[in-house]
Amino acid sequence: MSQQMRGLRDINDRAGAAWAAALERVHVARGVGRMALLLVLTFIFFAILRPGIFLNPVNLTNIGIAAPEIGLLSLAVMISMLTGGIDLSVVAMANGAAITVSSLYTAVLTSQGQAAAEQMTPLFLLAGLGVGLLLGAVNGLLISVVGITPILATLGTMQLYNGLALVWTGGVTISGAPTGLRTMGRTAVLGVPLLLLILVAAAAALAVMINRTPAGRKVQLQGANPVAARYSGISPRRTLMMTYITSGLLASLAGLLFLSRNPSASADYGSSYVLLVIVIVVLGGTNPMGGFATVLGVVLATLTLQVVSSGFTALRLSAYEYAIAQGSILIGVMVLDHVKFRRRPPRPAPPVPHEAVPTPVEH
Amino acid sequence: MSLTLARLRGPNSEGLLVAVIVVIVVAMSFASPAFFTASTFFALVRSSMVPLIFALGVLLVLISGGIDVSFLAIGIFAAYASVKWAIDGSADQGPLMVFAIAMAVGALLGLLNGVVIARFRLPTLIVTLGTQSIFKGALIAYVGSVYISAARLPASVNELSRAHVVDVRGGGYLHFMIVPVAIVAVLVALLLRRTVFGRSIYAIGGDTEAARRVGIRVVRTQILLYVLVGALAAFGGVLHVILGRNANPQSLVGTELDIIAAVVLGGASIFGGRGSVLGTVLGVVLVQLINNNLVLLGIPSTWQRAAVGMLLLLGVGVQAIAAGRARRRTVAVEQPVEPKEVLA
Repeated sequence: MSQQMRGLRDINDRAGAAWAAALERVHVARGVGRMALLLVLTFIFFAILRPGIFLNPVNLTNIGIAAPEIGLLSLAVMISMLTGGIDLSVVAMANGAAITVSSLYTAVLTSQGQAAAEQMTPLFLLAGLGVGLLLGAVNGLLISVVGITPILATLGTMQLYNGLALVWTGGVTISGAPTGLRTMGRTAVLGVPLLLLILVAAAAALAVMINRTPAGRKVQLQGANPVAARYSGISPRRTLMMTYITSGLLASLAGLLFLSRNPSASADYGSSYVLLVIVIVVLGGTNPMGGFATVLGVVLATLTLQVVSSGFTALRLSAYEYAIAQGSILIGVMVLDHVKFRRRPPRPAPPVPHEAVPTPVEH
Repeated sequence: MSLTLARLRGPNSEGLLVAVIVVIVVAMSFASPAFFTASTFFALVRSSMVPLIFALGVLLVLISGGIDVSFLAIGIFAAYASVKWAIDGSADQGPLMVFAIAMAVGALLGLLNGVVIARFRLPTLIVTLGTQSIFKGALIAYVGSVYISAARLPASVNELSRAHVVDVRGGGYLHFMIVPVAIVAVLVALLLRRTVFGRSIYAIGGDTEAARRVGIRVVRTQILLYVLVGALAAFGGVLHVILGRNANPQSLVGTELDIIAAVVLGGASIFGGRGSVLGTVLGVVLVQLINNNLVLLGIPSTWQRAAVGMLLLLGVGVQAIAAGRARRRTVAVEQPVEPKEVLA
């Protein structure tokens, strides 16, 4: 009996995996194509309306400098969403890294002088990334070992990390950043800001990891079908742990970019980023239920929102009108998706929120 | 023995919360004689009122299986708009009118949430993220961006903000608004426990498909729910204006997760189907107790946020471990795999 059961279960799992893979392909193509189109359209739109301001090299450079930190935070949330979770603590982790680097630098600067501080900069940067790794590991532990739901665990750690940062800085903005880091923020290679290249490099590395390595496959399967993942011998603990550590590392890299743009750090920096980043990740074609996400889609979504933001500034519209546009784009894209999907009723839904998952009807 | 323990603990760990609150109160009383006074108590009540009203709205949404992050945007939108219209209008219509207009506006904004969520079956977190952005942007871009100080608030609203129920000489006062707040809390509790609508919300949050099959009109109930939550948020917004004696369109938005944390601490399940008004009240009180009085224990006030985060993690951690144990106990009869967790 158990033999037969196992056989059946095997077939079932294999069918499940194949189904997930098929769904994934459809979803991936759509997310990227849609975002690329949207990016080009918005760019052309603003370029025609305000060519003088919008196409100005300074403006384009500003887009390239402001986008990377948000892009990295988005990638950090994306990988957690890929496993069906979410990471609300990314901004707190980024600030933690920025505060660490800034205060280490200032401490060495005052005690041993400028030269020593500059010399030890690589160490500080490593310490910053180490903070991201550590905080990400705490998230991973809470989620995979203690078994807290990701949204709750990271809601709690967001408060905790942010609270600890407040304690550390005493609630004020601390200033000071390694000169090397600040130079990096101003450097451009062939007209392209170095920060943007960092985002591209990090995104490419993440894409390779997700799509070309066994670890990445495990992350995808964990999100697409945790049951199948477990029966395939994938340890959910190890997968989730790795996911949240990666998320922490990406977030801390974003924290270093905060510092390179502006040589000060505070616990409150970018508090509005949390929600913005989720908007970007979802726009980029990531399924909030897990299983599907593309790095390229998320990067394109980041650039699109940045283009819209700077285009609105060029049109002399306020940040609040940009907020309206941001919300409308998000809901518009979701509703369009839904309408499109409704026109083809025979295809079962990719898992939408649990209240909407239709139960299969037996005929 | 374990049965009485379970009863003491309450269906949503309310007993546990009471115990934690008592421990903190005792610790604070020992640490500082200044703590156990009427003025501390009144201050606690005063600071809990606004978060409580918002928390009740969050509770309703959580029970239905959703997450709302737009309630503060609705609250400040409705409150600021109605106060501004009251100032621009010719005659001071009184605070009741301000409340009525604000709640109508809130209900309308809630209707928008409800229609998009229920009609298009979209994830509630994503939809309310979008509407939050739209509401906040529309408020400041089109309704008004100017800070309205106490001097410019309608006279009747100003008067209400100075009304006290109990006034202990030299020992603080109990603000009048506690009366409507208490009434609202009781009404929400009755709504959840005694009405078909309230039970439907639990049913939808527990299992939407099952709710649909027993004949609950899911779409209509959800839309009505978000309308109600919108009105509740508007009430909280006006309360915030009255207690703070100013209307600032930039305030409130951004602290949604703090309120959600208090509700979750109060035992509501993020997956829907579970939660109580009593637990929510206790959760809010616990957070405010820590926020207001940590200093008395000799802990600097910068630790507030970290302490609340710690407490939240502890609370959900204990719940998760307990749930894990319960699952392991049923392994013999069920598949040893937990259902995929859903983010709504």
